[in-house]
Amino acid sequence: MEFLRNMQFSRREFLWRAGGGLGGIALTKMLAEQEALALSAHHPPRAKYVIQLFMNGGVSQMDTFDYKPELEKRHGQKFDPGAHVEAPTSEPGAVMKCPFEFKQHGQCGRWVSSVFPHLASCVDEIAFLLALQSKTNVHGPASYMMNTGFLSPGFPSMGAWISYGLGTLNNNLPTFVVLPDPRGLPYNQKGNFSSGFLPVTHQGMIVNAGAPEPIAHLRAPAKATYVSKETEQESLELLRAMNVEHQREWPGDSRLESRIVSYELAARLQLAAPEVLDWRAESEATRRLYGLDKPGTEDFGRRCLLARRLIERGVRFVQIWSGAGGPTGNWDNHANILKELPPMAAATDQPIAALLTDLKSRGLLEDTLVVWSTEFGRMPFTQAGTGRDHNGGAAVTWLAGAGIRGGVAHGESDPWSWKAQTGGTYCYDLHATILHLLGINHEKLTFRHNGIDRRLTDVHGEIIRPILT
Amino acid sequence: MCRTRGCYLVVSAVVALCALGHAVELPQGHWALQPLRKAAPPEVRDGDWCRTPIDRFVLSTLEQHRMKPSAPADKRTLLRRAYFDLIGLPPTPAELSQFLADSSPGAFERVVDRLLDRPEYGERWARHWLDVAHYAETHGHDQDRPRTNSWPYRDYVIESFNGDKPYARFVEEQIAGDVLFPDDPHATVALGFLATGPWDESSLRDIREDSIDRQIARYIDRDDIVTTVMNTFVSTTVQCARCHDHKFDPVAQREYYGLQAVFAGTEKGDRLYDPDPQLHRERQQLLRRRTELREPSAEVRTGLLAPEFSKHVAEWERSQKVVSWETSAPISVASANGADLHIERDQSVLASGKRPDTDTYTVIIPGKGATGIRLELLPDDSLPKKGPGRQDNGNLHLTDFRVYAIHSDSSIAEIPLRNPTADFNQAGWDVSKAIDEDAQSGWGIYPEIGRQHQASFEFAAQTLDAEQFKLVLAQDHGGGHLIGRFRISITDSRPPLAVSNWPENIAAILQLPASTRSDEQKVALALHVARHEVEQKLAALPAPRLVYAGAHDFIPDAGHKPLGKMREVRLLKRGDINKPGELTAPGALNCLPGLSGQFACDSSEGSRRAALAHWTTDPRNILTWRSIVNRAWHYHFGRGLVNTPNDFGKMGGQPSHPELLDWLAGWFQENGGSMKKLHKLILLSAVYQQSSRDNPEYAATDSDNVLLWRMNRARLEAECVRDVILSLCQMLDQKMGGPSAQQFVLSPGIHVTPRVDYGAFDIDRAEMRRRSVYRFVFRTLPDPFMDSLDCPDSSQLTATRNTSVTVSQALAMLNDQFVTRYSEHFAERLERAQPRNIPAQIRSAVQLAFGREPGAEESSRYAQFAARNGMANFCRVLFNSNEFMFIN
Repeated sequence: MEFLRNMQFSRREFLWRAGGGLGGIALTKMLAEQEALALSAHHPPRAKYVIQLFMNGGVSQMDTFDYKPELEKRHGQKFDPGAHVEAPTSEPGAVMKCPFEFKQHGQCGRWVSSVFPHLASCVDEIAFLLALQSKTNVHGPASYMMNTGFLSPGFPSMGAWISYGLGTLNNNLPTFVVLPDPRGLPYNQKGNFSSGFLPVTHQGMIVNAGAPEPIAHLRAPAKATYVSKETEQESLELLRAMNVEHQREWPGDSRLESRIVSYELAARLQLAAPEVLDWRAESEATRRLYGLDKPGTEDFGRRCLLARRLIERGVRFVQIWSGAGGPTGNWDNHANILKELPPMAAATDQPIAALLTDLKSRGLLEDTLVVWSTEFGRMPFTQAGTGRDHNGGAAVTWLAGAGIRGGVAHGESDPWSWKAQTGGTYCYDLHATILHLLGINHEKLTFRHNGIDRRLTDVHGEIIRPILT
Repeated sequence: MCRTRGCYLVVSAVVALCALGHAVELPQGHWALQPLRKAAPPEVRDGDWCRTPIDRFVLSTLEQHRMKPSAPADKRTLLRRAYFDLIGLPPTPAELSQFLADSSPGAFERVVDRLLDRPEYGERWARHWLDVAHYAETHGHDQDRPRTNSWPYRDYVIESFNGDKPYARFVEEQIAGDVLFPDDPHATVALGFLATGPWDESSLRDIREDSIDRQIARYIDRDDIVTTVMNTFVSTTVQCARCHDHKFDPVAQREYYGLQAVFAGTEKGDRLYDPDPQLHRERQQLLRRRTELREPSAEVRTGLLAPEFSKHVAEWERSQKVVSWETSAPISVASANGADLHIERDQSVLASGKRPDTDTYTVIIPGKGATGIRLELLPDDSLPKKGPGRQDNGNLHLTDFRVYAIHSDSSIAEIPLRNPTADFNQAGWDVSKAIDEDAQSGWGIYPEIGRQHQASFEFAAQTLDAEQFKLVLAQDHGGGHLIGRFRISITDSRPPLAVSNWPENIAAILQLPASTRSDEQKVALALHVARHEVEQKLAALPAPRLVYAGAHDFIPDAGHKPLGKMREVRLLKRGDINKPGELTAPGALNCLPGLSGQFACDSSEGSRRAALAHWTTDPRNILTWRSIVNRAWHYHFGRGLVNTPNDFGKMGGQPSHPELLDWLAGWFQENGGSMKKLHKLILLSAVYQQSSRDNPEYAATDSDNVLLWRMNRARLEAECVRDVILSLCQMLDQKMGGPSAQQFVLSPGIHVTPRVDYGAFDIDRAEMRRRSVYRFVFRTLPDPFMDSLDCPDSSQLTATRNTSVTVSQALAMLNDQFVTRYSEHFAERLERAQPRNIPAQIRSAVQLAFGREPGAEESSRYAQFAARNGMANFCRVLFNSNEFMFIN
């Protein structure tokens, strides 16, 4: 029909339509397809899984991975790069050197400061981006930018885009899982792992690893004493019978069928979740490797270990957060680098190194991409004594695993690590590269919203080829 | 997508040549930009089927496709459909049986009339509007602060729907109600529309005013306002033209920035209003006068020099007491903790060098007979934020101030101080605290930094003779809250010596004889008097109410303050803050036939918005009229005649029934923009009253039912799920309006964003039982139950909701404590009505939840289940069923 061909359908409606007509396809698959673009990859993927470690607050790059001898020379002097200097929350103070010792590590000779002794042993696996920039120096918009590619709320996060683009690998588990810091959610709270205008099924499922009820709504609340294992089984049977009958009465509406399937999948998640979250099933040696035997590393170690268990079982994208929102207890070290940075680093150093080691020894690093990132860097000069203010000009991010060339660095900041100097990148390039490794062309992964074909990378993004194998 | 690259370049050239930003010559064949076609409803073969003109349009298209409409829905289904559609709640069994029994003509029409008269109608349709307007009650972003004064706007929307406010007026009030209808309090509250969106508190309030990040945030914030206005009212995605001319629609980049310029003086903040119209009028006049005096125009200046006002100024002057302060030249100054204190040429003392945590200054000045002393705090370029304090934020805290008389015999006696006054006191840091016994309390001036302040203290014993005075200024608060620059004066005037709020220049003018004052000085003085009077009159009025709204003048909040004038809006090349281009003049779009987007407005902030409001509601603005009838159609049928209600551009949907859309838009204009008439017209149509039953033959070619050969089945929205469950439990609170119900436990967070705990909330509390439109929506942490049912968090405009089917939705419907608890309540209600009678309870449950009688076999199966598992488990299954979740 000419008329109908001329009508414009949203992609989502198109999929609904397709779902309605595919009688022969298994219901589970149908449900997955209705919710996801489920594109066959644009090109053969290098990675199937992503574990993103997000250091909330803005990691100080010159105190961790971006070694700057110039800061030692100019320590205590007025910061004068020959251009306008401003800091978002303070008056720029004097140049401050890194208070920790830097040494070269690995065959690649990568400089790492003494706050990351374990990670320092992994540098030959890692590709560093030493000049990652942000368009803002403020936590909220910067966190949105690193997670969604936009400065404003309401856009889908990278995990949601990947879920939308690639669909699920395991019908019993969600595609995108978030493991927040037990101290609290990051800046923007759930905004950083929201599905934005994508269907809500793509939003990150929060798993509170240490909590008694790690996944919301997985079981009836304890107060609902009238619900037991027996009643639950009979209830689900009755519900299914009612829904099947209703659907027979009203054929031709795929949503009715999908809802029936969704309850079956829910029951499977109820069965699968306890198994995947049971880190106690891991050997003593593995638990020790991740630092579960020490209070300082126990929490982050547990979450890294869970990330490995999740991707092993087909979860595509796991995001682990270090640090809650707010002015302290995270990487937002305004007051005292010497006091505030080491505990954050120590809590994550061994667990992250363990994750890389463990993934590698199990052969999982072949198709798992590990990304370490933060929302922006910090200033080469002081603020209030020995702290540093926010700096969108330069930050460090690193990647390891599937498709990544280990032992290299891309981009360079200026002699003070104030701004990117060469090979500057933005989140767009990082996101484009991650999607590329997953087999997705970032320019083709789109969703029409309010008149614009939206992309994770907006209108930007260059694949960072020098760090790829 | 018809434009080639070459054509696009030509367009850019045209734009560049248009010095006045006048109508861009673009191909205007696009349907949405054509004048309304007022075609008569077409002839159809099956004329008997048609009840309204709408039906002829729809049937004619169906007949062209050799299709027939579906049979009418049965009365039960129709009634349920109308109830959910208009009031969002199901009919009671009594209402149902009454309707079933009424076979007289017009029975359904009477139902529709009754529903439109019910207050729940406004609540239901306001919720749709709040989706479009992306209304929520926190800022979003990292400082997700609750907005305690947003709700009056939500009530305004409900009242507007219930009062069937003409649509044009509804639009105008939300863009420029304060200007166009200044005497109507509702029209000020309506401006809540401009402030519904997120607001980046860190960037717009807390970081440095002079930072690039604040500028970026301002453009983003205005973009939110422009996007909200233009997507909502004219279904045009102007935001696509932020970085370049719109690629698909005739929106030039300079037109986009012209729209930003309309809001160059509009910010988001708490503004004052009074529900009492007379008080409202009075206060708003004073507020306008205050704004007018902030940056007075030539006209206002002339008014200030008029003889009548001059007389008034003279009277005021006579009533003022002038204290003559004499500046003291310090003999010595000393810092206890090592700061450098230097005496300047104007006898002020400037601190520099080391900035200790705390300090005490000791100053010796010449003595003489005196009745009091004055401390002036002065700004200085060398100080942070220009001071007058040394703290990073320009503040200081004078924690203890003492004055001693040194007599010629070297004896020293403290002079008790009293009646302290200051021109400004920081909240919690009143000047009286500088002479109390508490060493930690004191006088501060934040956020009024970067300017001069003064405090006066009377000597308890009058006119003391002393050789010298020794002053001790303790600043013990810590954190560098130290005085950066100050000056001392003394007086022998008779008390009271209260500091007047005279700025320095006014004090100087008052020293001059009236006859020697220049015109400029006269204006300055008159301005001061006029401002003073406005403040006095405002202070005398009863306390106002607040609404969080688009505002030029609003309650200052730390670093977020009214500027009093327009901000510069420049065209940003490629949308980049670092590539500012020309200044832009306020205006709208020029692509509409016969309607210019150029504004003839004066320099005031409100006139820009008024011009945009008039442009929007102009009868020639066909976008506005097509937009709203399409929105209404979308909510009635689940799909608009254009399926992209916020985008009528080339990337949006095509109208499925273009003649019907135009006919409806014209009809709506002719009927005074009455939403209620429009609802009624649609509900009484045969199209609306069709069955929703599938037809595989038609579905094979039109599975989306674009041609409307049946009615669409609707899934309950998240709010309806809650409201219906509450109403089935007989626990739905009927109360309307007021502050929103926080259905979570709120406690202080680590920083600004509070902790929000849904799980810990006692769900039997009264707040839980308010209708969902009164829920407090927390942007960065929305209710997971509502979230799973596709309730938007309002970070973005929601023109159409998703209706997803997900695992987390199934789990939430099964296990959220709301469902499990209210399943018990529903069971208790059934038990109360028919104690221990399971079959009767089952029958009621099915009647109430599904609006029908259960079959015999069904009843016995349910009864068996309930007997084994309890009625609460049965109710929980009912709530989870498809029959409950979908409306046929």
